[in-house]
Amino acid sequence: MRPNFYQHIHPPTIPAAQARWRYTLGAGGTAIFLVLVLVVSGALEMFFYIPSTGEAAISIQTISFLVPFGGLVRNLHFWAAQLLLIVSSVHLIRVVFTGSYAPPRRFNYLLGMGLFVLVILLDFTGYILRWDTGIQWALVVGTNLLKTIPWMGNFLYQTLVGGTFPGSATLVRFYSWHVFGLMLLAAILMIWHVFRVRRDGGIAVPPPELRGDPRRISRNELVHLEIVSMLLSGSALLLLSVFFPAPIAPGITEITALSGAASAPWFFLWVQQMLKWGDPFFWGVLVPLIVLTVVGLIPYIFPKPSRQDTGRWFPTSTRLAQIVLAVMALVITALTLIELQPVP
Amino acid sequence: MNTFSRRDFLKLTARGLLAVSGLLGLGIITRFLGYKPESPTPTEYDLGLASDHPIGSRTEFPDIPALLVHSETGFTALSLACTHLGCTLDQTNSNFSCPCHGSHFDEYGKVIHGPATKELVHLHVKQNDLGHVILYPES
Amino acid sequence: MTNRFLFISSVILLTTIGLTWWFQSRQVQPVAITPSLTGQIEYCLTCHADLKEISPAHPLETYGCVICHGGERLALEANLAHSSMRGGNNPSDLSVVEQSCGGSNCHNGDPTEDHDHIQRVMTSIQSTYAGAIANVRYTFGAQADLSPLLGTVAVSDTSIPSQTGILHLDAFDPIIETNPFLQTFGANCLTCHLNSKAVGDLKDTRFTGCAACHTPIGENKAGEVHTLTTAMPYTQCNTCHNRGNYDLRTMTFIERSDQPVTRFESYYQPIGQFTQCEYSLDCLDCHTRTEAMGDGDIHANEKDFEYVQCRTCHGTLTELPLMKTLTDPDDLAFRLTQLNPVVDLQLGDTILVTEQGEPLWNIRLLPDGNYELIGKATHQLFTFNPVMGSGCTQDGQDQSSAYCHECHAVER
Repeated sequence: MRPNFYQHIHPPTIPAAQARWRYTLGAGGTAIFLVLVLVVSGALEMFFYIPSTGEAAISIQTISFLVPFGGLVRNLHFWAAQLLLIVSSVHLIRVVFTGSYAPPRRFNYLLGMGLFVLVILLDFTGYILRWDTGIQWALVVGTNLLKTIPWMGNFLYQTLVGGTFPGSATLVRFYSWHVFGLMLLAAILMIWHVFRVRRDGGIAVPPPELRGDPRRISRNELVHLEIVSMLLSGSALLLLSVFFPAPIAPGITEITALSGAASAPWFFLWVQQMLKWGDPFFWGVLVPLIVLTVVGLIPYIFPKPSRQDTGRWFPTSTRLAQIVLAVMALVITALTLIELQPVP
Repeated sequence: MNTFSRRDFLKLTARGLLAVSGLLGLGIITRFLGYKPESPTPTEYDLGLASDHPIGSRTEFPDIPALLVHSETGFTALSLACTHLGCTLDQTNSNFSCPCHGSHFDEYGKVIHGPATKELVHLHVKQNDLGHVILYPES
Repeated sequence: MTNRFLFISSVILLTTIGLTWWFQSRQVQPVAITPSLTGQIEYCLTCHADLKEISPAHPLETYGCVICHGGERLALEANLAHSSMRGGNNPSDLSVVEQSCGGSNCHNGDPTEDHDHIQRVMTSIQSTYAGAIANVRYTFGAQADLSPLLGTVAVSDTSIPSQTGILHLDAFDPIIETNPFLQTFGANCLTCHLNSKAVGDLKDTRFTGCAACHTPIGENKAGEVHTLTTAMPYTQCNTCHNRGNYDLRTMTFIERSDQPVTRFESYYQPIGQFTQCEYSLDCLDCHTRTEAMGDGDIHANEKDFEYVQCRTCHGTLTELPLMKTLTDPDDLAFRLTQLNPVVDLQLGDTILVTEQGEPLWNIRLLPDGNYELIGKATHQLFTFNPVMGSGCTQDGQDQSSAYCHECHAVER
């Protein structure tokens, strides 16, 4: 039987051991599914969202309260976005902890890092599109952090903000980045990333002589597994969307009047905590960039996994890389939790 | 003999359930897209005091667009939207012409020539208690 | 096996979608109104449909809710909808009153058209407390004389003030006062002005701002707070007035100790001296709009702007009370009657006016030369005659209330 497109992009067979949930956690595939949900729900939101400073928050309230299933579409978009960030991190951790970044997969690792950065930027730009009192802090601080960068700071600020102060030009630019600029880049990188998985030989597996289980599953079985995963993830997403609405706040009337508790989006809380320690450029720009660079260069600066270590969790030859990543993840989580503590 | 195994049943039911889910999803999207933000379009226009429009007057209201005519028999109104594709008509002498595709109408709204085939729509007018002329655009 | 999983997960998905549809159908149906003054849809009535219209002068179809209260007009979720409301549950609080009640077409307009309520209230003595603050600070050595320098909030009068008017007051801040008595004064004694919330037993009887007077919840109407009226009974004034007295030595407020039951007993403090009309009528039957809301200038002492006396209505032995015949249908008197239609004023009626020209629109000249008064809040009808031509033995020079009380005060 001739395979359809969906089956065509899956290999004819893959080793059964590597197809198990407990090996890959299904993280990469779930990420793709979440991207799909984001694109569809985002496209639907585009029918009602208005990227103007006076009307953005009102249009979001219209979607949330007045459009039939509007609240659902918005909540799906919100939860898919936050889960995508988490699932991408899980995928990254899985890849490092199974040594699946060994050559020839090093370039694909970089593509994945690029996607990770794009996901963070998409999450942030989407957050700003709310243009309500809840995002004010992030907007002002985030854009001002750019100004702290030596030499290029003011130029970057002007380019991103479109003026001397966040205003209507900023919103239009963030909207354009979110809906098109970043999406285009992400689409290219995603296709390339998935293609490279096939090109590099599929999911990383141990060498043939070390494989305990010689069984393989057919592409039809693999497709079935993916469908099941999508159905379950979809149901979980729906439940989250029904019971936990996305945050919403009154629209910004005056950009300078900060109201309510000043807070960063959850994925930047660790940066907000570090910003309390001193120089904004060092703690707000440099340290996060260093963290990103170290993680991004793991396949290049740490010892490569030995041949017998591929395709399994916690290989001994990449212990250093695993420890470094684990420590970073723990520190970031700890900083986030500290920032969440209520101020006495 | 027809073999319909348990596997086939599960497969069919699963597909059926997914089809229903898909239809519901489509329903959600359709209802979502069908929402009309209520823009309050006026249901009536106050054209001012009747005494401002003496007998024999023909007053244009380009915002509606409409023409108010006060003849011996009373007030009538013609819609000045071309019946072809909706452009607002220009008035030359007592006739009307459409700048978009060249339709021409006479002073009573009948088609003289042009791609338009239907005559101009007559709109409902009446006077209220305060002596104002109220126009009701076609609903 | 994957077939079984597929089946199960299909069931789960369908159930979840069904749950979603069900939740959607349970959503509250929004109730929309488009007030004519804003032209923008509001959905407040979805939850608040049974709230009484606040006053006939502020009809729902014209004003809606958001133009006064603020808030998120499209939100159907309580926290979000109420989050940007001005002044919490009282948009007339003086910190936000200009956005809520202001505007040149509303209550922040032309003084010559009597549309300047907000400017007057914000400089009024009931708001600033300037005299009391100056007195206490002088007593305890914080300022060299009785000149009013501070008020409860900082306020400026940009227009040329009257003879006794002041240009500017700074805000009184007990924290920076060095004398401990003044700090106690700040803590104990500043609860009866328009900027302060009522405390203790009075907590639910009086709002701040315009609502302090115009929303008479008092002791009788707890719960019915969504009202605005110009017919305030004396009980509302008594949420601040006639409650007791201050003792400067202990810097505390001593509540009046009697247990009044009737109107006669409760109206004034036991030390008060008053005539029959002073307790049968409500405060606003005599005290005018300028006296209560201020004349637009900053004053420190009541005597600089309180001017109504017994003779304002009763005249003297040699003069009749001032009167005016209504010939202009736009006269303020007609506007005030419309707000509180206790009397059916017509063109050609003659009403009393005060020495400053303020209309006493509920007092009319009768054909026989006497006058009729209808209580603005009590709706009681009184007829009375002028002093001129009566048996009164007053000395024409002294027109103070204490002098009239010598004969006319009622016995407790």
